[in-house]
Amino acid sequence: MTVSPRQTVEAFLTGFRHRDVDAALSTVADSAQVTVFPLDVVQQGKAELSAVLEAIASAFPDLHLTVRSVIELGQVVVVELKIEGTQATDFLGAINQEKHLDIDSAWRFTVTGEEITGTEVYWCQNQLLRRLAVKRTDQVAIV
Amino acid sequence: MTQVAPTPAPTTTATAEDSVRIVSDFFDAYRRRDVETMADMCTDNADFSYIPFEVWAKQRVMRGDGKVRTIGKVIWSGLINAFPNLGNDIHSIDGNNNGDVVVACDITGTQQSAWAFIAPQGRSIVAPHLFILHVNPEGLIDSIRAYWDNAYVCRALGHLEVD
Repeated sequence: MTVSPRQTVEAFLTGFRHRDVDAALSTVADSAQVTVFPLDVVQQGKAELSAVLEAIASAFPDLHLTVRSVIELGQVVVVELKIEGTQATDFLGAINQEKHLDIDSAWRFTVTGEEITGTEVYWCQNQLLRRLAVKRTDQVAIV
Repeated sequence: MTQVAPTPAPTTTATAEDSVRIVSDFFDAYRRRDVETMADMCTDNADFSYIPFEVWAKQRVMRGDGKVRTIGKVIWSGLINAFPNLGNDIHSIDGNNNGDVVVACDITGTQQSAWAFIAPQGRSIVAPHLFILHVNPEGLIDSIRAYWDNAYVCRALGHLEVD
């Protein structure tokens, strides 16, 4: 049975939702190009995507993802995703203050065959840091 | 300023090609900093949401959510005032037959006057944005949402406070 680009992306999101990074990455090609703009990850690979997902999954053990929309545009699938959770460990340099995170993000996937071959991720790092009670972007570890 | 008429509205459901062309015209108008034409290409009640745009005041949070003709025009005009050479470089534009169009682009410009809490220092931005738009069957844009990293914009302009 042929798997559609949307189904491939939904499989990725299911793995992410369950904090099962390996399951999410099973849908990603080894040669995938990954850009996560707010983290200055630009045209990197699967390993960098793995690190981002691991960081989120481990810092927010009650991770909750809400899909606002999934837009199919041929090989391109765009997902609007709210990421929520309570911080339980340090996250990207921000010390743990047990703050609740809710951040709206957009993920633009390119799917080739049945694999994700590219993704660009957008969210506002100011919104993220604000929710984690960080005051300055050059002093993330100081509250 | 030369006025370019908006793309005529098709009489039938817009195809992906129609929707992409209409949105391309919209970004051309944005590049010309022609806010009136941008608004004219939208329905009277078009939804508008600039997701990262939020200002935390003491008792409420102001967000970039509302309608094109109220919030959208104000934000666009404010941006153009602060960045007189405001531009956009489109990297990809994808559409489908449901009227959905997604644009990945850089918003560019050099700050010449205050923007939000940021005093002008003559600094420039090249900020990656993702715009999600919807074109209705009459060929008018009825929804605009945008995502970007406002921390990057603030840093580029020399503002390191989160708020």
